[in-house]
Amino acid sequence: MSALWNQCMSKLEGELPPQQFNTWIRPLQAVENGSELKLLAPNRFVLDWVKQHFIGKIEEVLSDQKIQPPPHVVLEIGTRKQQEASPVAPAIKRPASVKKGLPNNLNTAFTFDNFVEGKSNQLAKAASIQVAQNVGRAYNPLFIYGGVGLGKTHLMHAIGNEILRANSSANIVYLHSERFVSDMVKALQHNAIGAFKEYYRTVDALLIDDIQFFAGKERSQEEFFHTFNSLLENKHQVVLTCDRYPKEIKGLEERLKSRFGWGLPVAIEPPDLETRVAILMSKAQHAGADLSPEVAFFIGKRIRSNIRELEGALRRVIANAHFTGKPITLEFAKEALRDLIALQDRMINVENIQKTVAEYYKIRVADLLANKRTRSVTRPRQIAMALAKELTNHSLPEIGQQFGGRDHTTVLHACRKVQELKESDSKFAEDYSNLMRTLSN
Amino acid sequence: MAKQLPLRFAFNPELGFLQYHSGANAEIVAHLKHAASGRGETLIFLWGEPGTGKSHLLNACCREACQSGLSVSYLPLSGLREYGPGVLDGLEHQDLVCLDDVDSVAGDDAWERALFNLFNCLRDHGNRLIAAAGVPPAELAIRLPDLKTRLGWGLTLRLQPLNDEDKLIVLGAYARSLGLDLSPQVGRFLLSHYHRDLSSLKRLLDELDHATLAAKRKLTIPFLKNYLEEST
Repeated sequence: MSALWNQCMSKLEGELPPQQFNTWIRPLQAVENGSELKLLAPNRFVLDWVKQHFIGKIEEVLSDQKIQPPPHVVLEIGTRKQQEASPVAPAIKRPASVKKGLPNNLNTAFTFDNFVEGKSNQLAKAASIQVAQNVGRAYNPLFIYGGVGLGKTHLMHAIGNEILRANSSANIVYLHSERFVSDMVKALQHNAIGAFKEYYRTVDALLIDDIQFFAGKERSQEEFFHTFNSLLENKHQVVLTCDRYPKEIKGLEERLKSRFGWGLPVAIEPPDLETRVAILMSKAQHAGADLSPEVAFFIGKRIRSNIRELEGALRRVIANAHFTGKPITLEFAKEALRDLIALQDRMINVENIQKTVAEYYKIRVADLLANKRTRSVTRPRQIAMALAKELTNHSLPEIGQQFGGRDHTTVLHACRKVQELKESDSKFAEDYSNLMRTLSN
Repeated sequence: MAKQLPLRFAFNPELGFLQYHSGANAEIVAHLKHAASGRGETLIFLWGEPGTGKSHLLNACCREACQSGLSVSYLPLSGLREYGPGVLDGLEHQDLVCLDDVDSVAGDDAWERALFNLFNCLRDHGNRLIAAAGVPPAELAIRLPDLKTRLGWGLTLRLQPLNDEDKLIVLGAYARSLGLDLSPQVGRFLLSHYHRDLSSLKRLLDELDHATLAAKRKLTIPFLKNYLEEST
């Protein structure tokens, strides 16, 4: 940091309201160059704002420093790191420089070894390993889909890391679909679309996350379509993730939907209790925390929706234990997670489940509670009971009571029936998983 | 006697960790200090009622980060919402980004997309995010589930409101910084006769500072009663 700018900052900090100072002045990075003081703003908006509201003040404070001649202030967009790396328009140049060894954006913390396998994700993991070991030859594209926070991104990074482990010179790029779009827009603005195309079409493996964000962006879809075809023709690997099955993505061209299904579409479901517990134990071990199975079961039972929330809860418990120096007992975990658990209980309760299921099947909540035994009502009723058992902590008699005063054996029967139908009837399994997703989010 | 017209000096209170009275929130302050100096958690979500000091703490984080040689940006989203999410561009290069009032842009598609993008890019660059709102991530009116779950991925911390004794300490210190003499009796009267959140109470002290100067009076219970009656 420039010493001159540091002095100015101290002066400005005393004169401006702290919120304004932290929003507009503190983010500026200074580069001193002879008689010039270059202030780098993170974006156009900050630059314009500073120009409009603060430049006079900055120059005034600078002139107080009594330097002769007073430095000339220049405002630019950028960061010091970028300036050091490349002196000209660094952010835009990136895709244009097609060289091996560019940052691949892979997070080395995500590997197959620390991906906890369970019934809900074993197929996706097996397919991912196949792809990593047979780049471009196993399943191409590999299309991993499922709800938020279930481990799709983890698998994608694991594929990339595994390919690199076997071949450190492999050219792999991981990026989020929004980044692909914004890079393309930048390339178009700077007449660098040729370099952009070459960059993405020459990688050994292209890993694009959350492909559903391409929906409605026709120009990006067009470009991606050609990139995709070129990669596949040359037997380069493509891995995509999405929050739903290809055919279900609205606003995506039919030809892309159909191509996404060419290789292997594989689903990740929400993890069951045993997997949730295994995930907690593995994460705790990784963080160096001592977590007993009893506490892991407690957290796993209470936090069911997705792995991010599960990790968030574990983080809370571990942080609390570090701060207080206390061991993580069941009581300790209950206390640390009190707010989170109260929130879960408020958001998912039996009434809420009944309402969601009734809406899904287009029947009335009253039908779920009544004595009617037609198939159109009994199936939704059984699903609602099974969901109540899975998503709340009520006992079976309590659940029965809330379904028009039914016996607990009826609830037990419903849970068994739902389990059986999930395995034998794919339409039923899909309905169950849709409802689970709606209630969990 | 004619009223004296006090000069309207803008008072810029320092918003550092030193000036934050933590009360029951000492653990939260420790986690924030740690993260702001570039260690510990990479994502913290801070929530609590109005007046619990979320903005104060985020500003304190900015100062701490800067002292540790880190680049940092503070974004009060409620004030920036009308200008559109362009203000988030390029922030992934900052070592730390502090987002205040996240609830104020919930439900706005363009902002949600931009926040989601910023979140992913910060993660890709290994940089930190501290966000604050009045409710926890799961209760935010965010429509993009990808963003909502990501905000709850890190360490979520709830700021506890201060009890009355702690509030009196904070108000006393604030009054002192204004040069206003706030006796414990007047302080207690304030707590029992006015809004109890600290933001409102501090605003009232600002007004009382001017009112006592204008009237050349000390801040007493009769003065306060009279002022509150006149202003309602």
